Amino acid sequence: MTEKNSGIQAVGRYLKAMFAIAWKDLAAELRSRELLSAMLVFALLVILIFNFSLKLDAKTRTAATSGILWVTFTFAGTLGLNRSMAVEKDRGCLDGLLLAPVDRSSIYFGKVLSNLVFMFIVEAIVLPVYSILYNVNLFNPWLLLVIFLGSVGYIAIGTLLAAMAVQTRTRDVMLPILLFPVVIPVVIAAVEASSGFLQGLALSEVSYWINILFVYDLIFIAIAFMVFDYVVEE
Amino acid sequence: MGAPETTNYMIAGYAVFVVIFSIFIASLAMRWNRLKKDQQTLQELEKENE
Amino acid sequence: MNKKPTVLLILDIVSIILLGVAAYLALSYAPMEATMGNVQRVFYFHVANAWVGLLGFLAAGVAGIAYLRTGKQKWDIIEVAAVEISLVFFLIAIVLGSIWARPIWNTWWTWEPRLTTAAITELIYLAYFMLRGGIEDPNRRARFSAVYTLVGSVSVPITFMAIRLFRTIHPVVIGTASAQAQGGFNMSSDMKVAFFFSLFSFTVIFIDLFWHRIRLGNLQAKVEELKLNVME
Repeated sequence: MTEKNSGIQAVGRYLKAMFAIAWKDLAAELRSRELLSAMLVFALLVILIFNFSLKLDAKTRTAATSGILWVTFTFAGTLGLNRSMAVEKDRGCLDGLLLAPVDRSSIYFGKVLSNLVFMFIVEAIVLPVYSILYNVNLFNPWLLLVIFLGSVGYIAIGTLLAAMAVQTRTRDVMLPILLFPVVIPVVIAAVEASSGFLQGLALSEVSYWINILFVYDLIFIAIAFMVFDYVVEE
Repeated sequence: MGAPETTNYMIAGYAVFVVIFSIFIASLAMRWNRLKKDQQTLQELEKENE
Repeated sequence: MNKKPTVLLILDIVSIILLGVAAYLALSYAPMEATMGNVQRVFYFHVANAWVGLLGFLAAGVAGIAYLRTGKQKWDIIEVAAVEISLVFFLIAIVLGSIWARPIWNTWWTWEPRLTTAAITELIYLAYFMLRGGIEDPNRRARFSAVYTLVGSVSVPITFMAIRLFRTIHPVVIGTASAQAQGGFNMSSDMKVAFFFSLFSFTVIFIDLFWHRIRLGNLQAKVEELKLNVME
């Protein structure tokens, strides 16, 4: 009976640690709003640049929408990941967290949670803005599913790689170099699925892409969970 | 109806192979020699230190 | 450890001979292909070199996992050797693929799934070396490299499947020939001899070069250790 209780207690402690870490980041961000404003401004600027660099008529623009959105999310996401990890390192929080008597993967999941929330917030603002500016209806529940799955995959692998990148000499530049070649399946699948849903295709026609996103998410969350220890040990 | 004359491309292809392959082998050899020299120098320094 | 082992010397000689024979078979023995002309002969080395790249890729993945599980430096040395060889041979394969494509489809690049995946793998390798270059501590460098190798090893197959699916939905018509004609030629039995002999020869060449590169890595490790000793 006590064995079962201690098992449940351990899970409880794990979740508590995870949410504590996530909340630490979210609370800090609520006060300063540095990270979010940087990501947002950046995302909106990217969309603006796309408007001027790609001379698209209304029809082509609809076709290019999913590509533009995902490029925007990818780049803004990198910004968020970098800063989120750099803060840990600079303020020495990481060392403190490592001393806590919880499995280190809870740190990983805590960071993933907060990074995801930031990315979702940015996406939640970019979508309506894009909708309005380009007169494209983006309030499609399936599209939101794709954005969710794609973001999870991106942040799952991104958090792991950011933890490594921040410990190298060329910190900020290292993350995109490491991340982009490895996150290509997510980008391809997300763009194709988004595109499909925006064109009004049925779920069955787009399901392959959703499957790829799903599989990628599961695999890389599992890998990151198993390997995170090696990335933060001293 | 003869086959298209693409021999030049064939030559280009095999030339590329030879070049890149040779550069790689040369790089291996040069790195080996440099390390060997370093090893010798360091071994002498080690002897001097004792 | 400094004197080259006899087995390796024999392997060197065998490799050189095999390379020569493979070249002869590809350039002379195999008949000329009717629809493409002589450029088709590039195919024998193109596939064989891609095969070596793939062997290196797999070896790197295994070495990465082995390092994470054991922490032994030798796996790190093996991993670097595998990545380097794979980098070089995928490069050859990609360029040869490009040269083959040019006269046939009038384009230097084709977004064919295998070629594209190979190119992405090259980018991962470059990122790998940049990562290593940015870390001083050998222990951390080995750990991070192993993690990234694992990540890359898993991501590349998924990338390949995604691109293949992408291409099925968006087939690219290249020049006047359709994508269906890609590499579409029937191999006569003589061609098959050249093809499989190339694969065999380059497998031996891979083992030979891999061994040499590992020896180089070992020597490097020894020199690093000497440097530390002397600096004290």
